[in-house]
Amino acid sequence: MIEVRNLSKSYGDFRAVDDVSFVCQPGRVTGFLGPNGAGKSTAMRMITGLTRPSSGTATIGGVAYADIPNPAAQVGVLLDASAQHGGRTGREVLTIGARAMGLPAERVDEMLALVGLTPKESKRRVRNYSLGMRQRLGIAHALLGDPRVLILDEPVNGLDPAGIHWMRQLLREYANRGGTVMLSSHLLHEIQIIADDLIVIGHGRIVAMGTKDDLLRTAGSRVRARDNAALVRALEAAGLEASQASDAVTSTATPEQVGLAAAAAGVPLIELREADGAGLEAMFLQLTAEDQRDVIAPEGVQA
Amino acid sequence: MSTLTNQPTIDTTRPAIPFGREVRVETRKMFDTRGGRWLFIITGLLIVLAMGLTLLVVALNDEVTITASGFSDVMTIPVSILVPIFAILTVSSEWSQRTHLTTFTLQPNRGRVVAAKFVSVTLLAVGTIVLAVALGAVGNVVYGLITDHDAVWNVSGKQLFWTVVLQLVFFWMAFALATLLLNTPATIAVFYVVALILPVMVYPVLSFIFEWARDLLPWVDFNYAAMPLISGENFFGEAVDVGPVEYVRFAFTIFLWVVVPGVLGYLRIQRTEVK
Repeated sequence: MIEVRNLSKSYGDFRAVDDVSFVCQPGRVTGFLGPNGAGKSTAMRMITGLTRPSSGTATIGGVAYADIPNPAAQVGVLLDASAQHGGRTGREVLTIGARAMGLPAERVDEMLALVGLTPKESKRRVRNYSLGMRQRLGIAHALLGDPRVLILDEPVNGLDPAGIHWMRQLLREYANRGGTVMLSSHLLHEIQIIADDLIVIGHGRIVAMGTKDDLLRTAGSRVRARDNAALVRALEAAGLEASQASDAVTSTATPEQVGLAAAAAGVPLIELREADGAGLEAMFLQLTAEDQRDVIAPEGVQA
Repeated sequence: MSTLTNQPTIDTTRPAIPFGREVRVETRKMFDTRGGRWLFIITGLLIVLAMGLTLLVVALNDEVTITASGFSDVMTIPVSILVPIFAILTVSSEWSQRTHLTTFTLQPNRGRVVAAKFVSVTLLAVGTIVLAVALGAVGNVVYGLITDHDAVWNVSGKQLFWTVVLQLVFFWMAFALATLLLNTPATIAVFYVVALILPVMVYPVLSFIFEWARDLLPWVDFNYAAMPLISGENFFGEAVDVGPVEYVRFAFTIFLWVVVPGVLGYLRIQRTEVK
């Protein structure tokens, strides 16, 4: 179990992580979601003792990371898959880890097999690895000591769809065996595939937290009619909220209520369904857009 | 795979990482990169080249003679010029390659990491200098066999001791500068300026032109400071009564180039945020 309490980190006036509290439960994959620069990595570095918090605490199984004896053998950590010496082979990276943790050499081969790096690939220098291969190597390193807890920063970044699927399987099995997994991502759809619980962070603060199912639960309907304007009038006449968005109408009412109201008014529908995770998606888009406002500039305009 | 649920999440009764294991891992890390391996090979080639050239010269020229002391001096040059780079890279490459993320996750106690690297560097310094001197002795035996001259064994225990001490202080300086700068090119540049370029190109000129330089240099340069202690003569060939001042000078050069950068570097490593 990872427990974070009132964790904050300031750099001068800038609060990178601002009074963050959450728990990652054993047996579940907890996704840490936020746009780039939201404070995810800073929070994870504080959990693993690499960055000193300005205030607050972070413990794993009740113990601060730095106080765990031979910590890497009990907590698997991958903070940046690219942070490897380019002149070392993949196998050597794992060998150093295994030696430092006091593990038998066979563990290196087992982990290489587990993450799907071939013996030939493992003898190549990390400089020549793709980001996806580095991620696999990093996962292998994190799993070396058969830890009970995994902390992975953007582990899916650079993986192809098959790789993402593989990662989901791996972490799912790991959590099913009772392991605690915390992984971060800046992409909602990635984390939607893998995580059970979600912690959404923006500008250093937690903006939403809960099970994925709860957060993605529909809060309304999405409906299309041949005459959307007539549909909006019909719904409003029935006392339901409705608003026209491009080619569809969204409503906070349930699909059942919407269907009944439309039928009563005699408005034929083309499509009627639950709005999918609109709340979370909209919130996340807004968070992301704020951070990218200077990227989405009109074409031809140079800074 | 085993189930993880029965055991506690974190077992605080497990043994910590033994220090000896950390030293072995840090030593391995010096040689397991492409750069480290080549540096090792080039040093080996230079040692062979130094020995081969020396033997060739004395074998072809009857009037040229060499002693064990001379051999020892020749062999230590490649070792003292190139091998300190290992002492720099063991620290600075962790930052330039960002492997410190992994290193400090494996061992969150950064002081232990620095200590393991320091021990590793010290062992390397002593090991390589002993190897160089031993190879010099082999060269001296060969010299006695292939020339008409007898091998002259004139290396005293005192001389050996000082060879090792000087090798150590240069390694420690390289290590200390690396902890302070945490940057490979900058550390290598500063190290060679202080260890090689200033003593060879600048100090002789200074001491030739300015009287004050002759008084000042033994306070800032290892070789100038150590010379009276090794041979009883100063760097300019004048006999010196070795007293406390000579020892204080040598200690001060160590303070200046090892202790000061080392302590500042240690504090920097402890405080700096690892990203």
